[in-house]
Amino acid sequence: MFDKIAGRALVPVGIVVTGFLVVCFVLLHSAIKNVVIRDSVGHANNLAGIVLKSTRYAMLKSDRELNSTIIRNISEQDGVQHVRIFNKKGIVAFSSKPEEVNRQVDKKAEGCVVCHEKAAPMTSLGNMQKARTFKNGAGTEVIAITAPIYNEPECANAACHVHPASQKILGTLDIGLSREATLHALASIRAQMIIFSVLTLVLTIAGVIALLKMIVLVPMQKLQEYTERSERNSTLSQPTDLPYELDKIAKSYYFIRKKLTDVERQSVKTADSAAACEKK
Amino acid sequence: MEQADNNEREAVNEAASDPRESLRRGLTEEIKRLRRFSNRGLWALSLFLMVSTIAWRDFWFLPSAATIVASLGAPPTPQIISLVLILYTFSAIILSLSRMMAGLRHSSSFCHVGYLLVFYLFYYFAEALPDNYWAVFGAGFTILCMESYRIWTFCNDNILKKHEQLAFLERTGRLPVEEPDVSD
Repeated sequence: MFDKIAGRALVPVGIVVTGFLVVCFVLLHSAIKNVVIRDSVGHANNLAGIVLKSTRYAMLKSDRELNSTIIRNISEQDGVQHVRIFNKKGIVAFSSKPEEVNRQVDKKAEGCVVCHEKAAPMTSLGNMQKARTFKNGAGTEVIAITAPIYNEPECANAACHVHPASQKILGTLDIGLSREATLHALASIRAQMIIFSVLTLVLTIAGVIALLKMIVLVPMQKLQEYTERSERNSTLSQPTDLPYELDKIAKSYYFIRKKLTDVERQSVKTADSAAACEKK
Repeated sequence: MEQADNNEREAVNEAASDPRESLRRGLTEEIKRLRRFSNRGLWALSLFLMVSTIAWRDFWFLPSAATIVASLGAPPTPQIISLVLILYTFSAIILSLSRMMAGLRHSSSFCHVGYLLVFYLFYYFAEALPDNYWAVFGAGFTILCMESYRIWTFCNDNILKKHEQLAFLERTGRLPVEEPDVSD
């Protein structure tokens, strides 16, 4: 394979094109994945904001029934896996699953540890820090957002239940959304990119093979056939149909060969005339 | 031991007195050296595979990325690292192809392993190694395969040339006259 022009030329082209495509493919896929994930986290954060705004009035009025109804209705929406509201002590105050209400949550559990890993819990989180991903009991991939419920002047001054103004966080909202759609979109993008990369690779290699064959290999074969033919036949014809520099090479070969034949004929003629002289 | 030294000294003296023998010895040594050199690319590739295995296991012996970031400061973002990786891959391939075209003897394979290790480490510090591992692996494999191929073809061509010179030396007792390079 490596002792032929085609092998020597195609191996580096194959390595370079394949390798560079793989590198670009992985990096592009990673970048797209980051954008899609960031987008889905942003979307989940917006939804958490909507839930907080929807329940705000019911919380101010300390209307547990209204709060429970809002949360139950939201959790019936397609793609919503769970909605919970925790109070300051980490007890589930409202949940889309009634069996979870009044249960204590471990502060070291996933989703809580982000804020509670130090002695003094964090009071503000970035969008990406609020999100966590996991597989729930039903085997569904879930992205969950933990959004803090901040103390506001209306809360601290409300007549129904008093929170001191110094308390920054009143509780947290935990909302889990299915990641199936996001993962499906990513799988679809990956499949399309693989098809695109394979097509590009095949086209590049096929293009190089076609050009190499047309420009180099076929003319080289013609030149080889011409020199082999001229070795077999004593009568030599001018080379035709050879492109580019190969025509010059073939012509040089033709003239050298012609001169050699002339010299050979001359020497035979001289030898013949010498023999005739000797006879005389 | 002393006998061996004497034999070697005698051989050197004999070679010095016989120029053909000395040329033959020189050419044979050069062929051996080229044969050893032709494996350099493969050694570098093996070293890179070893480094990649360590990276695959997430540099278990290093402190966690958060600890390093706390002491050294924030690393560049994964996007910046990826951009530099693409630039590096592109320029390394172009350099390798240019050296192949010019027929230069250049042994740069091992420094590429170093550069690639740095990329692995930067992705590790930026906590983006799982997403970008195959990109660095692909880049390294491509560059080192190209380098191996370049070194291997360079050595093979030169070994062939040296064998021809050796045959010419055996026939005529001298080295062939070097032809001027057409590309010059």
